[in-house]
Amino acid sequence: MISENLIVDRGVSAGDNWITIAAESAHEALSSLKEEGYRLLVFLTCVDHLADSSREWPSRYELVYQLRNMDSLEQLRVRAFVDGDPPHVDSVSDLFPPGNWDERETYDMFGIVFENHPDLTRILMPDDWVGHPLRRDYPVGGEVVEFSEEHETWQTAPDKA
Amino acid sequence: MTDTDTAEIGMGVTVTKTGETGAFGGELLTINFGPHHPSTHGVLRLIVDLDGEQVKRLKPVIGYLHTGIEKQMEALRWQQGVTVTDRHDYLSPPINNLAYALAVEKLMGVDVPPRANALRVIMSELTRLSSHLVWMGTSGLELGAMSMLMYCFRERDTILDMNEEISGYRMHTSYIRPGGVMADATPRFLDLLEKFIVAMPGHVDEYEDLLTMNPIWRSRTIGIGRLSAEDAKVLGASGPMLRGSGVAWDLRKQMPYSGYEGYEFEVATSDMCDCYGRYLVRIKEMRESVKILRQALDRLPDGPVNVDDRKMLPPPREELETSMEAVIHHFKLFTEGYSVPPGDVYVAVESGRGENGCYVVSDGTHKPRRVKFRAASFVNLQPLERMAMNHMVADMVAIIGTADTVLGDVDR
Amino acid sequence: MGQNILTTSLGKLIGWGRGNSVWPAQFGLACCAIEMIATATAGVDIARFGSEAFRASPRQSDLMIVSGRVSQKMAPILRTIYDQMPEPKWVISMGACASTGGVFNNYALLQGVDKIVPVDVYIPGCPPRPEDLLNALMILQERIKAHGITPRQ
Repeated sequence: MISENLIVDRGVSAGDNWITIAAESAHEALSSLKEEGYRLLVFLTCVDHLADSSREWPSRYELVYQLRNMDSLEQLRVRAFVDGDPPHVDSVSDLFPPGNWDERETYDMFGIVFENHPDLTRILMPDDWVGHPLRRDYPVGGEVVEFSEEHETWQTAPDKA
Repeated sequence: MTDTDTAEIGMGVTVTKTGETGAFGGELLTINFGPHHPSTHGVLRLIVDLDGEQVKRLKPVIGYLHTGIEKQMEALRWQQGVTVTDRHDYLSPPINNLAYALAVEKLMGVDVPPRANALRVIMSELTRLSSHLVWMGTSGLELGAMSMLMYCFRERDTILDMNEEISGYRMHTSYIRPGGVMADATPRFLDLLEKFIVAMPGHVDEYEDLLTMNPIWRSRTIGIGRLSAEDAKVLGASGPMLRGSGVAWDLRKQMPYSGYEGYEFEVATSDMCDCYGRYLVRIKEMRESVKILRQALDRLPDGPVNVDDRKMLPPPREELETSMEAVIHHFKLFTEGYSVPPGDVYVAVESGRGENGCYVVSDGTHKPRRVKFRAASFVNLQPLERMAMNHMVADMVAIIGTADTVLGDVDR
Repeated sequence: MGQNILTTSLGKLIGWGRGNSVWPAQFGLACCAIEMIATATAGVDIARFGSEAFRASPRQSDLMIVSGRVSQKMAPILRTIYDQMPEPKWVISMGACASTGGVFNNYALLQGVDKIVPVDVYIPGCPPRPEDLLNALMILQERIKAHGITPRQ
C-alpha cells in the first residue's frame, strides 16, 4: 500500500481519480502503487503551466502518470510538480517498461531530465534540435499567414509569458 | 573504423561491421533499415545487429513523421482541434475524433443524444474495418500475397464511399465532433451500409480462403514474433497485439463508451501469441464489427444528432434567419469559440490498433492548455525488439507488419 | 542541340516512351501514401498509364511522389532519395502537407517540399482522391512528351 505520507493531495477531476505526490518520492510512490495492483502505465506526460492564471500551481511543470489496474479496472492519475532548469525527476522505466519511450518523449518535448534512464536521448526531434517544442514559451513556428487574424499568435507561443 | 567497413547495398540499406563475433563464428553486422524502405510500413528506421541472418539487437528510430500535432492543438480553438485529430492515426480518423470528442464532452459535462451515439458506433466500426483491411492488404503484399491488396482495397473503397456520403470526405472525415456528429445520416448512407453489412461476411470468407490455410502465409507467420501474454501486459501492448497473446482485453467491453455496453459481440482472442494469432484476431474482429454494425443499424434511434446547446454548437440554419440571439451565438462560436471548464480528463477508446487515448487539460480558455494522444502504435512498437530477437531478418517484415503500427500515430 | 527534322522526330519518340513509362519510387510518407496505394489497386489502376511499377529503389525510378507531410527530420533523407534518382526525374507533390505544410503550420514540418526539391506538379487535397493523382500523372505525362529529348530546358 502507498503510505499516506507520500500523498500530498488527492481529488477527482471530471470523474478521474488523482493524487499528487512529491517529485522526489516519485519512484518510491509509483513502485508501491505498482505493488498495489496498478501494473500498467498507460501514459506519462507533462503539462507546462506557464502563465496559467486559472488555478494556483505549485510549480511550472506537472508530470502526469496515468496508471491502471487491469484486474479491477481502476485508474489513477499521479501528479508530481517539478521546477528548475532543467527539471529533474527519477525515471520509472525500470518499473514500467512502456515508460522508457514516454520519458524520452517528455525529455524531448519538455526538457525534463529523468535520472537513471537507460538511454535519455531525443526521440521525435532530430538529435541536433535546439529547444523543447512543447514548452509554452517555444513558438508554434511555421510561416506567417498573410491576412490572417491570428498572424501574431501563430508566430509566438499562445499566452506568452 | 575505416570507410571500407561500411557499405551501401541498395534500397537505402547500409551495412557496418561491428567487430564482434557471432555464435556461428562470423562477424556481427549492423544494418540500417529505413526510414525509406518498402516494408517498414511508413518511415520507420531500424538499426539491426545481425549474426548471419539472425537478429541479435534491434533499435527502432522514430520521429521521421513528427508533425507537432500536440503543439498545433494548443494553438487551435476547441472545435478546430477536431480537424487535426484526424491526421495522427490516419487509418482510423473517426476513432481519433471520438477520443477527443469524448474527452471534451466529459470536461464540459455534456451527454450526446442516443442517435449520435449510435452513429458514432457505426462510424467507429466502419473505420475499424477499413483499418484492418489496409493492414491485411499491405501485410499480404509484403509477405507475397499481392492479390490481398486488390481485394482489401476494393472493400475499403466501399467504406470510403460511405464516409464520403455521410461527411463529404473520403479519409479525414472530422465527422465526430464535441457535442455530437457533423450531420445526420442520409438515406443513401443507410442504404449503402445495409448493402455493405450483407456483403461483408462473404468478403471476409474470401480473405480467409486466400490466407488462413495458405501454406506460404502460414509458414511465414506461425511461430514468428512470439509475445507471451505476460510480456504483452508488462510491455503495455494493447489491441490485437494483446488479444493475439490470449488476453481478452477490449476497451469496448472493459470500459464501455458511446453505448458499446448495449451491443452483443465477442472479444476476439488467440492463444497462438504469434503473427498468425494476431492475424486470426483481426479476421475475427472484422466479423464482430459487422455484427455490431447490424445491431446498430437495426436499432438506430430517431432524434437529434447534436446536443441542444447554443454555447457549444452553432444554431440550425433556419433559426439564423429569424432569431437575433442565434446570430449572436453563431458569431461568438466562429470568432472566439467556446471555452471549457478548467480541469483535466483522460478518455481511452479502442481503435484498430489498440488503446487510443486522449488526455486533455483545460485552463478555462477557448484553447486547450495541453492535448496528449496516447498512441497505441507508439506503445506497440516497443516490444518489437523482444519479438524479433533471434528471428531471421526476413521475418522482421512479418513482425512489423502484424504489429500494425501507423507511423503517424507513433510520431504524432 | 539544334532543332532539326531528326532531333524533333526522335524527341517525339523519346517523349512518348518516357511519358508512358514513368516509374514512381515506392516512397510513402503519411496519409496520402494510403491513397497512393489505392491508386495502384484495381479500382483506379494506375497501370493503365504505365506507372504501376513502383520501384523500391530510387535508382530505378523516374518519379518521386511526395505523399504526405515532410518533417524536419525527414527532409534530408527525402533530398538524398531525390539525389539518388537518375536524370531525367520528376516530382509530384501530393496533398496539401507536401505542397504547403497544409493544416500544420508549425515547427515540425517543412512548409512545402518545394523548398528542398523542384516540384513539377502539385496536387491539392488532404488527402487527394486517387483520381487526382491520376490527373496529376496525366499532366506530367503531357509535359514529358512535349519536352522530347531534353526533359528540362
